[in-house]
Amino acid sequence: MNWFLKLRKRRMLESELDEEIAFHRNMRASDAAAGIVPPPFGNPTRIRESMREAWTFGWIETTLRDIAFALRGLRRNPGFAAATIGSLAVGIGVTIAIFTAADDLLFRPMPYKDADRLVMVWEANPRLATAAHNVISPGNFLDWKTRGRVFEDIAAFSEYKTNLSDGERSEQLRMQSVSANFFPLLGVRPWSGRIFTEAEDLASAHGDSLVLISYRLWQSWFGGEASAIGRRIMVNSLPRTVIGILPPDFYFRNREVDLWGPIGIDPAKPYRKTSGRYMMAVGRLRRGVGLAEAQVQMTGLARVLEIENPVFDKNWTVLLEPLRSSLVRDVRKSLLLLLGAVGLLLAVACANAASLLVARNSSRRAELAVRAALGAGPARLTRQLITESAILAVLAGTGGILLGWYALAGLVRMAPEEITRTAKISMDWQIVVFALILAAATGLVFGLVPALIASGGVAAEMKRGNRWGSANRGSARAGLVAGEIAVSVVLLAGASLLFRSLVKLTNADPGMNPDNVLTLRFSAPPARYKEPQRGVQLFRNAVDRIGKLPGVRSASAVSYLPFDGMAAGTGVTIGGRPPALPGEQPNANVRTVLPRYFETMGIPIRLGRDFTAGDNTRESPIRFIVSEGFVRKYLNGEDPLSKTISVEMDHPNPFGEIVGVVGDVSEGALGKAPEPTVYYVHAHLPYAGMTLLLRTRGDPLGLAAPVRQILHELDPAIPVADIRTMRNVLGETYARQRFSAILLAGFSISALFLAAIGIYGVLAYSVSERTREIGVRLAVGADAGRIVTMVLTEGARFVLAGLAVGMAGALGLSRLLSSLLFDTGARDPIAFTAAPAILLAVALLAGFIPARRASRLDPVLALRME
Amino acid sequence: MGKSGSRDLIQGTLDMLILRTLLRGALHGYAIAVAIEQRSGDELRVEEGALYPALHRLEVAGLLKSEWKLSETNRRARFYRLTSEGEKRLQDEASNWERLAAAVARVMEAV
Repeated sequence: MNWFLKLRKRRMLESELDEEIAFHRNMRASDAAAGIVPPPFGNPTRIRESMREAWTFGWIETTLRDIAFALRGLRRNPGFAAATIGSLAVGIGVTIAIFTAADDLLFRPMPYKDADRLVMVWEANPRLATAAHNVISPGNFLDWKTRGRVFEDIAAFSEYKTNLSDGERSEQLRMQSVSANFFPLLGVRPWSGRIFTEAEDLASAHGDSLVLISYRLWQSWFGGEASAIGRRIMVNSLPRTVIGILPPDFYFRNREVDLWGPIGIDPAKPYRKTSGRYMMAVGRLRRGVGLAEAQVQMTGLARVLEIENPVFDKNWTVLLEPLRSSLVRDVRKSLLLLLGAVGLLLAVACANAASLLVARNSSRRAELAVRAALGAGPARLTRQLITESAILAVLAGTGGILLGWYALAGLVRMAPEEITRTAKISMDWQIVVFALILAAATGLVFGLVPALIASGGVAAEMKRGNRWGSANRGSARAGLVAGEIAVSVVLLAGASLLFRSLVKLTNADPGMNPDNVLTLRFSAPPARYKEPQRGVQLFRNAVDRIGKLPGVRSASAVSYLPFDGMAAGTGVTIGGRPPALPGEQPNANVRTVLPRYFETMGIPIRLGRDFTAGDNTRESPIRFIVSEGFVRKYLNGEDPLSKTISVEMDHPNPFGEIVGVVGDVSEGALGKAPEPTVYYVHAHLPYAGMTLLLRTRGDPLGLAAPVRQILHELDPAIPVADIRTMRNVLGETYARQRFSAILLAGFSISALFLAAIGIYGVLAYSVSERTREIGVRLAVGADAGRIVTMVLTEGARFVLAGLAVGMAGALGLSRLLSSLLFDTGARDPIAFTAAPAILLAVALLAGFIPARRASRLDPVLALRME
Repeated sequence: MGKSGSRDLIQGTLDMLILRTLLRGALHGYAIAVAIEQRSGDELRVEEGALYPALHRLEVAGLLKSEWKLSETNRRARFYRLTSEGEKRLQDEASNWERLAAAVARVMEAV
């Protein structure tokens, strides 16, 4: 029904009602004149009010009028409106941003069938600090697959970077090699085309192979053409046929993977003799088999395998880890912490809004009383107050969603790669609904409750003629603000701790000099560089030519960059010693480098010498450089330069002389004891893909173009990837700590800001309530200083109470942070002095404004106010 | 609200009395109030704060119809009359009331 017509009709009705009432009065008057006692007539406004409510469309009109009235009220009092809407919007915005991130990473179901039964199956070696979640051996995998009773199925996969080309274009992509049962195990069907069979998986080890592509790649590379299936593409210079396209939302552990090919594990091969541990496995537990039970069974199987393979499997066991936990292992704790912090911030925002609404409603009692006298019923008044709260809630909710949107965008940009890689963090309608419910709930609870108190109290208030407000409501507000202060102190203390830790982390000595170093990844595809020494020659040429570029101090290359999360690790035998007992053999990380690596990276040479060009040939005898940590851990104070070692990387592994000792690089985790490291020269352990390094005089990125040019001249078919400065690589390692610290700092600043508004609000309200009293004091000679002190003292009571509670809470909660802190105690005195100091300073500032206003009151005006 | 105590009419009863009063023909609001008071022997007072909302409620419910006509004093007034639905409702309410009144009377006599 057209309500405009209704409104017109409504106006007509209203004039009719007036006429009807006028008639009634007239009749009464003439009857009275005739000496007839007339029936009484009630309050005409009251009649109109209740009449309006009887008309069916009254509610629309009432609501529109309420909304208009509420908006007028908010405009009249912009400070109140801004503070309330701002507080709630900040609380809601930040909450939905963090909640969205946490929801994606921790709670949202993963796009696989019965994902809660999926587990990662790792190998683990309790004797190696770095091998808690180790990659696995195909040999062990095959035994788990045939003899493990707990799995419905178990699939193998590995992930690496590849180069896709079709002769004209080339692109660096991530690829996962998977076993044929991988997709069925996850319950994923191709969006189009088909997956490969067991037989095709096996055959892939020889000759032509197959590949599935991501929906994204299908759109970008193949233009979404149906003919993509069956097309032949070159992956790492080897031909592959596209047989299927995966669904748009499919990903496994890494959203940046675009190619899936067969892994080709052959049960007939003796993997334990020919290769190490390099792949991963995902298993689906049988229905009804719990994680603990499955772990017990697999540990048993691992013990059997250890007996059967006393050399290869010595000390190795199996570890099951739920798929989701494996993705958020390190992030989980930070996220839960942030979720807790954001909850506290939301509580502060709500307390603030509540305190503002309570204050406003109590200062409006006179207005409410007048409106009641003019005929507004209690229901009518309550509805008016609820409308106002609802408007505040809607505005705050909308503001919160907008703010949350921007906050989330910032969050994703700032987030460490380990977070963004595994999850698509995006706001969805559920979050928007969540925000609106949150806003409505806060608005109603904190608007309605004070409203009911206010409208219920109006009548009593009217009788007392009291405009002084009631004292206990004031103390309830002070209590709310004290709570805000307590929560702010907790957040501030947490943020100070994380920041102290971050500063120490950033300043920790990494054992190398990351400034002015450019790194880029470059690979000699084995398909075209079949003879490994040709690849070695390619890198030798590249480093020689790059080293001669103007602005380059030195150039070299390394198999895996330190601080980049990857390193080969293996057993080492020390010459002249009896063979170590199985499982007690020394272990070391292994890196292959070109000469001048240590100079380029800024790693000091402590003893002996660097590799020379002469060492980097197949003909020269094998020589090693080891790290200080290696000497400390394994050589018992003997002269390292007189020792020979053999490293289990190849076959056979001849003993070679140690020619140098270099400083430790504290990679992996800054601040943890560095792993012993052994360095090979490239010719003796040729990797096809290496990371080129150059130390520059000026901005390292300025050399990216000339370096690219040189590499293009050397082999135009090889793409250059991952151009980064060493500073950035290093920065990524504490991205998570920085992320948590910045976010927590953001929360605590927001909370502090809200608490400041709260303090200001309570004191400003109290000053306006006490205007008369202050006027008397000024009139009898109190000076401005005394009044300021008086107001501040009043504030000090609840500020100090909140501070005390907050400090106690912070000391109690800081232990939760200890595992996230680097070289900083959970009760770090500096952090715990800074937090209350900052808060006191802000509180003083917030309290000083109303205090000053009080001291400047004109006593005459103040006394005349009533 | 008026302070007339026991002479206040409970709402449902007022509706019934209005319907009953209109049974003998169309009346305007003031005449309805006067009629109820007179027929009750001045025991019942109709407060307009209750009367006009009740009239509108009954009209909205389709039990009454109203139209503007000239009153006995030659002034424009709104006259209410019963609809057939209103008559039916009156019969129901009246028989309910009789039963209730008889029941109350029986209890009071028994004491």
